[in-house]
Amino acid sequence: MYTELNSILNTNPDSFTQGEFVLLSDRKSDASFLIHHFLSLYLRARCKVWFLGLVQSFNHYSAISQRLGVSLAQAKEKGQLVFLEGLNESLSVLIPQETDTRSQAMGFLRDPAVGLKSLYEFVRSSVTSSGGGEAGADGAEEWGPPVLLVDDLSVLLSLGVSVGAVLDFSHYCRATVCSQLQGNVVMLVRCDGEEEEEDDGDDEGSERLLKGLTHQCSLTLHVQGLPTGFCRDIHGQVEVCWRRRQGDGQYTQKKLFQYKVHDKGVSFFAPGTSSAVL
Amino acid sequence: MLPELLQGIDAGGFLIIQDSTSYSGRHLLKSFINSALDREEAVHVLGFEVSEEELKDGLKGSPIQRLHFHNAYSDPLGWTDHPAFTVSQFCLDELTRLVKQTSHPKPATLVIDSLSWILRHLSPPDVCKTLHQLRKGGAVRAIIGLLHADMHQRGTVGSVCHLATSVITVVPVVKGDKAVAKITKRSKSGKVMQDEEIFSIKEDFTVIVQGKPSQLGPKLADPKEQETDPTANLTFNLRLSDTEREAKEKLALPFVFSKEKKTALLHSGPGSGRILYEPDANDDYDQEDPDDDLDV
Repeated sequence: MYTELNSILNTNPDSFTQGEFVLLSDRKSDASFLIHHFLSLYLRARCKVWFLGLVQSFNHYSAISQRLGVSLAQAKEKGQLVFLEGLNESLSVLIPQETDTRSQAMGFLRDPAVGLKSLYEFVRSSVTSSGGGEAGADGAEEWGPPVLLVDDLSVLLSLGVSVGAVLDFSHYCRATVCSQLQGNVVMLVRCDGEEEEEDDGDDEGSERLLKGLTHQCSLTLHVQGLPTGFCRDIHGQVEVCWRRRQGDGQYTQKKLFQYKVHDKGVSFFAPGTSSAVL
Repeated sequence: MLPELLQGIDAGGFLIIQDSTSYSGRHLLKSFINSALDREEAVHVLGFEVSEEELKDGLKGSPIQRLHFHNAYSDPLGWTDHPAFTVSQFCLDELTRLVKQTSHPKPATLVIDSLSWILRHLSPPDVCKTLHQLRKGGAVRAIIGLLHADMHQRGTVGSVCHLATSVITVVPVVKGDKAVAKITKRSKSGKVMQDEEIFSIKEDFTVIVQGKPSQLGPKLADPKEQETDPTANLTFNLRLSDTEREAKEKLALPFVFSKEKKTALLHSGPGSGRILYEPDANDDYDQEDPDDDLDV
């Protein structure tokens, strides 16, 4: 986890808001560094984490988390981390074998029109069966509130799932994990094109998905490149937007930061205060 | 006009609050719920988008007994075995049954949070039909709906808003937590009134109207920075003294057609060639200069 981002979001492993739906989004950029932040943050906070890794293998996240000081393999062994490796699972759906008893979480690959109910069922049964925070019957360790991380939702659109189905899926995840179990949900959405004004007719799926998710979430972090172009010392900007009312009565509050990705972390700073400039 | 709408909606009225991702209209919706509860009306909320706790958050006191939340949030599509209320139950009979479940002397106000959720799953004509039937049906006195205008095509938004008697579109103002409400109200006589007001919502959901956007215009200009003088603080001199300014203004520019040049061209000097013209019998020689009326 990145300490500067923790202070910006007012979170740390010991205290963070529960019941939050965090939306990470990017436009022509790569916001996956934020996924690693939240993954290591919640693992350090001793929460039970469900990770739907649909775009990368387990080893990828493991290697990066290693640099951030968290061992995913260990967490998985202890039962703190439940990892759905989408790439692996999809093989068993597309090339079914008799000996396969894996869940049908990725069943939507066969028929995208059906929607993501099976994926939600996987999440729901997994989250509620473990008790979501209660101690296991056989003396297993007691974990904190449940956290669901999804990386990422836009790939579902590419696989043929409709925007409505993805929005329903995120709604149900939020209803189960955030409202019912007081856990947190973090989802990543990626957009390709320019942000345009609405035309008539269905605009590109990812834009509509981003809007729908923004309405549902309580906190958004939007990553973009610098409007002035490529810079070696500043890799882009992050716009943080709190959508729920904060303690001091302020409603939607927005803050803009610039960031630079290092080997073992990411530094965030106010626009114009990069160490290369000062 | 916003305070009047908050005071009460006419019987059979349908109010739509249109919002977008940049400013959520739910806070204004809660203000409407709050004022309806204060007027001792029963409010039925059809909650698709937020949970009961989140909606009731901030609404305190005894009036909350009159707020009936119908949970369409935990399972709106019937994915579990015991859904409380699904989106397919959004029809006149089911809604009338829901509202009549709780008896109350005053007719109830139905709040729909949100219409966008329903429009995503049911076809717009069906939704419009149900809303129209509800308005005429008499089971509810008034309907208030929240609509995310950026989630639908313009035609869909237009059709649903056409049914409404009042539409409030909220957009944020750049600074602060204020927002601009663009209000369109259609009265029963057919008169349409439009208004724009800047408002902010306090913690107890009272709405404070702070004037019109045009009033804010000049105020925004004042805090703008004073224009800096670009010729100040330079290592070289960019300013002109008075004599220099005079000389500059006297200078005749090379390609400007001034009076002196015109007379020089029109009246040729000594030694230049002269043209002698003897008209032929066929020539139509007019002594008058055809270009005389040109102001060259």
